[in-house]
Amino acid sequence: MRDRSAGPSSAWQPTGGLARSVVVATVGVVASVAGGRPVLLVLVAPLVVAAAFGLVHRPTMTPVVHARLGHRLLHEGQSTVSRLMLAGADEAEQVTRVAVREPFVRVRPAGGRAARLVGRGPVDFELSPRRWGRRSVGDSAVALTSAWGGFRWGPATTGGDRVPVLPVSVRYGSRAESPQPRGLVGAHRSARTGSGTEFSGIRGFEPGDRLRRINWRVSARSDRLHVTTTRAEEDAGVLLVVDALADHGRSEGIGGRESSLDLTVRAAAAVAEHAVRQGDRVSLRVVGREGRQLGYGAGWVHLRRVLGALAALQPSAAHDGEVERLQLRAAEGTMVVVLSPMLAEVLGTVTATALRRGLPTLVIDTLPDGAAPAVTRGTDPVAADLAWRLRKLEREQVLSGLAALGCPVVPWRGPGTIDEVTRRLARRAQQPRVVVR
Amino acid sequence: MRQWTRGQWVLRLVVLAGPLLALAAQALQGDPPHSLMVVVTALLAAGFARYPESLAGAVAFAMVLASWWDGGAGRVDLSALLAAAALLASHVAAVLASYGPDDVPLDRPLTLLWLARGAAVFVAAPAVWLLARLLWDQPEQSGVWVAGVLAVTGAVVFAIVAGGDREPA
Repeated sequence: MRDRSAGPSSAWQPTGGLARSVVVATVGVVASVAGGRPVLLVLVAPLVVAAAFGLVHRPTMTPVVHARLGHRLLHEGQSTVSRLMLAGADEAEQVTRVAVREPFVRVRPAGGRAARLVGRGPVDFELSPRRWGRRSVGDSAVALTSAWGGFRWGPATTGGDRVPVLPVSVRYGSRAESPQPRGLVGAHRSARTGSGTEFSGIRGFEPGDRLRRINWRVSARSDRLHVTTTRAEEDAGVLLVVDALADHGRSEGIGGRESSLDLTVRAAAAVAEHAVRQGDRVSLRVVGREGRQLGYGAGWVHLRRVLGALAALQPSAAHDGEVERLQLRAAEGTMVVVLSPMLAEVLGTVTATALRRGLPTLVIDTLPDGAAPAVTRGTDPVAADLAWRLRKLEREQVLSGLAALGCPVVPWRGPGTIDEVTRRLARRAQQPRVVVR
Repeated sequence: MRQWTRGQWVLRLVVLAGPLLALAAQALQGDPPHSLMVVVTALLAAGFARYPESLAGAVAFAMVLASWWDGGAGRVDLSALLAAAALLASHVAAVLASYGPDDVPLDRPLTLLWLARGAAVFVAAPAVWLLARLLWDQPEQSGVWVAGVLAVTGAVVFAIVAGGDREPA
């Protein structure tokens, strides 16, 4: 919330309407009197009155305006209200408020333009960011006009607030197990026995077994104590590897066309929320110039941190050699989810490395259908098209190579996309495998 | 102009038509304005309609006054009231149009307020017209118009000061 006056020229200034009525009235009256033409006095008489009223209502107070935003944190598609607060504006009759156009922020009413009488309540704008990111919302220009339109104050800017807009949070239910749960406590059925609830088997009693585990029916039949064993329940780690090297395709905000980074961020948010809901630990690794990394964590506070990091993503090419030195630092059993349009070869290398380490890895392909390269001015479109086709051929090769290594690649189709893939990875994890170290 | 709302289009048309109607009213006296005067006023009115805060409006109005000065031998008949109404309508429409950028929609209560104000201040025109008609046949006395204008101005200022507190703030 910021207070604003109109800056150095914050005084009330005469309007063009007042100047016109004063000039015309003066000319008409003088000409009428001096030239003996009463008809001119008839013509300008209403303007004389209007000019007099405008002059008499000259304001003396200096107004202060500021905008108050309803929320400090938003998800894309959500709305908040920016209310214009006026102080020292008792002498103002009318207020005009014009919202500064901000990409991916929808403003109501009337595209962020409003003019109304001050006495008819505050001028509110409903703001709805349509895309994740850090958006400036609530910035607007305000002008006040005195009674009879004689004097105007402003326009002054109210200033906007930089609000983090988190990617849309889509809940989805999944019954797929985590491929290799390795944690302490959680919701995933483990491969080892433990103190869970799911039946594993029956074996003879051993010192240390809990008495409540004794299966009395089997013990009575066999003249020896037996206990029921269960599968342990563990949490799992999920490492999200997010490709922020470039943004391909056109973004139209939520509900419209999605760019590759839109798909990447929204898919990462959905997977992260699903994992947190299941009690799993989530880590985030951004592949890009910033190279941001968030450690493993669970719970809603950590999810908010992950979403915040996703909202702060900016597409940027990494420095030379930086990506090649990328290390995932994923512990054994961590499920690696690579979200990328797979147009950078290095992402294929990272994925292959994770696969060779025996980590359950899957790739979510976030290249939107019909994506075209952003051609800069002066670039030969034919050459750009050729380069794009070559890049897509290389991408096909990378994806084929990953498929040969047993890495599932699925295009993001909304919540539940990775359900079947995760299930298959879980089945595969129970089979014997060779790990290259 | 592409962004103008329907209300803005209506306002700009009124702004444009006002000075031209005031000139046309002069023709009702049997003394049509000079064609060059009409062309120049039309151009100024067009500029006034495009930029209602500009000086073009004052100059267009001054051209109308000059035309009325020149024609009709100073007669005061009903066509003067028509011209006064046209000028006032143009002025009010310009004030409404200049409350914000071109694409700001018109506020209905504000428009109604200004219609009421326009009707109220227009009363001054028939009042002066009646006074002029009464004095038309009288032998002219030295300083009668100066005294009349001063009296009317004083009355207007008194009425404004007295009624200022009752105006909406």
